[in-house]
Amino acid sequence: MKTHGIIPDEWIVSYASGALSEAHALVVATHCHFHPELQQKLDDAENIGAMFMVSNQPAQVSSRLFEEIITEIDSMSTTTELPSDQEGIPYPLAEYLNHKSLDQLKWRMMGPGLSQVRLWTGPNDECLWLLKAKGGAKIPSHDHKELEFTLVLQGSYHVGDEHYRPGLLEIADDNTKNHTPIIDPGEDCICLVVTEAPIKIHSFMGRLAQPFIGL
Amino acid sequence: MDDPSALSEISHEQLVIMVARNKDKYAFRQLFDHYAPRIKSYLLNFQITDQKAEDLSQEVMITLWQKADKFDPDKAKISTWLFRVARNKYIDKVRKQKYPEVNADDHIASIVAPEKTDRTIQEKQDQGRIKMAMASLSDEQQKVIELSFFKELSHSQIAAETNMPLGTVKSRIRTAFQILRKELGDYK
Repeated sequence: MKTHGIIPDEWIVSYASGALSEAHALVVATHCHFHPELQQKLDDAENIGAMFMVSNQPAQVSSRLFEEIITEIDSMSTTTELPSDQEGIPYPLAEYLNHKSLDQLKWRMMGPGLSQVRLWTGPNDECLWLLKAKGGAKIPSHDHKELEFTLVLQGSYHVGDEHYRPGLLEIADDNTKNHTPIIDPGEDCICLVVTEAPIKIHSFMGRLAQPFIGL
Repeated sequence: MDDPSALSEISHEQLVIMVARNKDKYAFRQLFDHYAPRIKSYLLNFQITDQKAEDLSQEVMITLWQKADKFDPDKAKISTWLFRVARNKYIDKVRKQKYPEVNADDHIASIVAPEKTDRTIQEKQDQGRIKMAMASLSDEQQKVIELSFFKELSHSQIAAETNMPLGTVKSRIRTAFQILRKELGDYK
């Protein structure tokens, strides 16, 4: 059953099995950070992975391996723990940003009331972004060619009757047409976004601006 | 520990506590003997060389030594923690990508998984349970779960490998996971 704003189970399985890209893994981990019930599902999926691992026929390991490990741990110095969280930023993202605050990032203007930070670019045009939009802003109407994940971190927006607030995830794909998110009035809306292909903006002006925006 | 043979009756989770509290190398040896060959076997699923799998297994065991003090035996299974570390090491070192985690290491304390059973019995139970749970899946459902966990394939890669529509792959994984969770419900 599909639940509004909550990631379907098949993505939990893919996260647990290690099948996700860096960008999708960050969005799924950050999304789960908001929802204890998703963390429980993830624990269950990872338990399944662990059961497969321990049920494997054991491989032969070198007779020297244990001694090599002991030699290494005897020579190791104590490591210092990094702070576990940046205030207001969910742990997975805080860790990913090396515990910088969002204000310390280099935000790039995309247009009136809209800015972005590109965090990672993967193979096949996959990109990980932070997007920030002013309260009340309307994102130009567009279509999607591939999968897009949008996780709300701060503020909120709606698409038609669907409302997305912090912790909720919107999944758009090539069946998503005339996608027109509207930012709710008030504070800036900040989202963690993964795109797999450039969006297709409808308006002429929007298309003109798109190469400079980068989306 | 004066008598290493006495360790064979102690649960893995208690061995980790001995490593954490006393830096007990006999206890660590017991954990190594059990898990290192299984971690290596898991890693060899991903088409890497024997040497690479052994290097990664070594790193996983060193991480266990370093972070044993984060472990809470009343709430976590060490096998799950090691699975997570092995998966992430592979992605980091072979795929050269980060694999962000939901919580800091101490999140293993949030898993409700008391385990005080004798080790040998527990091990057989684990292996039996996953086999029984997998047997409750259809052949098609088993296939998508195996391709996920043994090959680390994405939904679209599984669709390409099996010639199934993407939507079918997703729904099969979803259904299979729900069945496995139900079958393994009291396994924590």
